[in-house]
Amino acid sequence: MTQALAPPAIERATSCNVITEAILIIAVSAALWLAPAVLDDYGLQIGFRVLVYLSLAEGWNLLTGYTGLVSLGTSCFVGLGAYVAFGLLNHAGLGLPLALAISAAAGAALAGIVAPALFRLRGLYFTVGTLALAELVRLLVVNLPMFGGATGLVLQEDPPPLPDLFHYALTIALIASLTIFATTRSRASVILRSIRDDEDAAAQVGVRPYRVKLAAFALASALGSAAGALQGVKLGAIEPYGMFSLQWSIDALSMVLIGGVGLRLGPIVGVSFVVALGEALADYPEAHIAITGVILIVILRFAPRGLVGLARRLIGAA
Amino acid sequence: MPALSDVASTLVSGLLLGGILGLTALGLSIVLGVMRLVNLAHGALLVLGAYVGFYFVGFTGIDPLLGLPVIALALAALAIPIYRFLLAPLAGRGSEAQMMTMFSVSIILENVFVLAFSADTRSIEIAYATYPLQLGPISVPLIYAIGFVISAALILAVHLLVSRTAFGRDLRASAADPEAAASVGVDVGRVQRLTFALGAACAGVGGGLIGMAFQFSPSSGGPYLLNSLAVVVLGGLGNVMGSFVGGVTLGFLQSLGGLTLGDGYRDLVGMALFLAVLAFRPDGFLSRGRGV
Repeated sequence: MTQALAPPAIERATSCNVITEAILIIAVSAALWLAPAVLDDYGLQIGFRVLVYLSLAEGWNLLTGYTGLVSLGTSCFVGLGAYVAFGLLNHAGLGLPLALAISAAAGAALAGIVAPALFRLRGLYFTVGTLALAELVRLLVVNLPMFGGATGLVLQEDPPPLPDLFHYALTIALIASLTIFATTRSRASVILRSIRDDEDAAAQVGVRPYRVKLAAFALASALGSAAGALQGVKLGAIEPYGMFSLQWSIDALSMVLIGGVGLRLGPIVGVSFVVALGEALADYPEAHIAITGVILIVILRFAPRGLVGLARRLIGAA
Repeated sequence: MPALSDVASTLVSGLLLGGILGLTALGLSIVLGVMRLVNLAHGALLVLGAYVGFYFVGFTGIDPLLGLPVIALALAALAIPIYRFLLAPLAGRGSEAQMMTMFSVSIILENVFVLAFSADTRSIEIAYATYPLQLGPISVPLIYAIGFVISAALILAVHLLVSRTAFGRDLRASAADPEAAASVGVDVGRVQRLTFALGAACAGVGGGLIGMAFQFSPSSGGPYLLNSLAVVVLGGLGNVMGSFVGGVTLGFLQSLGGLTLGDGYRDLVGMALFLAVLAFRPDGFLSRGRGV
């Protein structure tokens, strides 16, 4: 039996708050669309980072919080997305929106290819498998000459201006939020959680664990690849050690665990916290990561449902 | 086409280094078997062992090989509070929480290494390390052979500990069924604590040997963690002598991969093998891991 990182959430979806949530997501996105008019460059940079991280975190939360698959393979899909996008932009002459969409599809396709091997592994072993997959793909990209080896690839055209990048990031994050909204506020959420809580029992009552896990894995991977593709385009030049860095996986998991795994508001709260912490400690990158580790340990021990869970408990107790 | 003697020397070197891999994998394997914990800090503990060796030898000036017991004790002494204060409180909360905690420990350690020791690449100086050992046409650095012998001896010692002693009996019982073991009077907490310490000591000694044979840096842990996992898969979980066989096999295949495809592919061989074994023959890995 796969024990989830946190005890099951009690989140009742009433039709009233489902509609409220949908309206809220769209209203916030619409308001943010106008942000480039009022924000300066620094604000847009931070906003871009929050939106890219949010796309990763929403995917990781779907995979881990709702389906029970703890992944350390986020970096693999981030890097894949960036390399696919660069290939399409440099050699196929496609526009950025199409390149982003194909990168996302490539992420989902890789998830589909490796799923037969990874899904044989339950619990811990799935996690280890994703870690090995990320390392394998990174080593392949470093070693195969077509990917530019350790020096990487350079985007031949200039990256779009920052306000446009911000809009692309907002679009991906909106798609991420709506996807997670659709899967967690519907019958699908019950199916996902039944697999998280007891895969064998779920299979006996007619859930097909393999298909459901694959769908969640492919969705999360597509989001990761789209986010990675956009991040790569923003950088204008990519190399394997950065784009396939384990740091992407650390970021995704720490943001969700800190915010609240399996909770709807977990990712955005965690992303905001981690980005703010990163800004505060921008001059001390090593201390920043070490402190993130300490926070993770404390959260895992004392607040298994993250900051959102903690806040709920405090409000409930008051 | 390199000379035949060079090819043979490379392959023998691979076999010998595989022995050290077997030792580091053993630490991972027993912790996995007894605690159902994939210790994601295993690579960082290995690098810590190398740093302990580096500084101990630097301060005392003694023969690095004599520093190995010190490394083992230091790592075991560190592991016990990690178990007591970080892992034990999470018992009963599922294995993911413990695994994520050890992952956090690993990112803390890696960045503390950079802050404390800088990101420089180092190695433990040992006067006779590169002294070539000649066996007919085959020539390998002496330190590879020393590392192999020490690793093999330690693996054998752990094998005897697990199969012949009262502690080993408790350990096997705790691995097979912790609740049943506890109900017949085995102190499972103590077994887990000591197993975790033993695992860390194996990582540390392996790290010390790796630090003598190669170079290491704060971020060296990741590849060794993954290679150790590959060895565990190859050798079979919880199988002490299997770790040795798996390590030697992986070492040999890595050398073969490096020879035929190029040096950059050494680590790739380990990962590819790891995923292939998982995909096609997961039994070795899963037979005891099921139901986690």
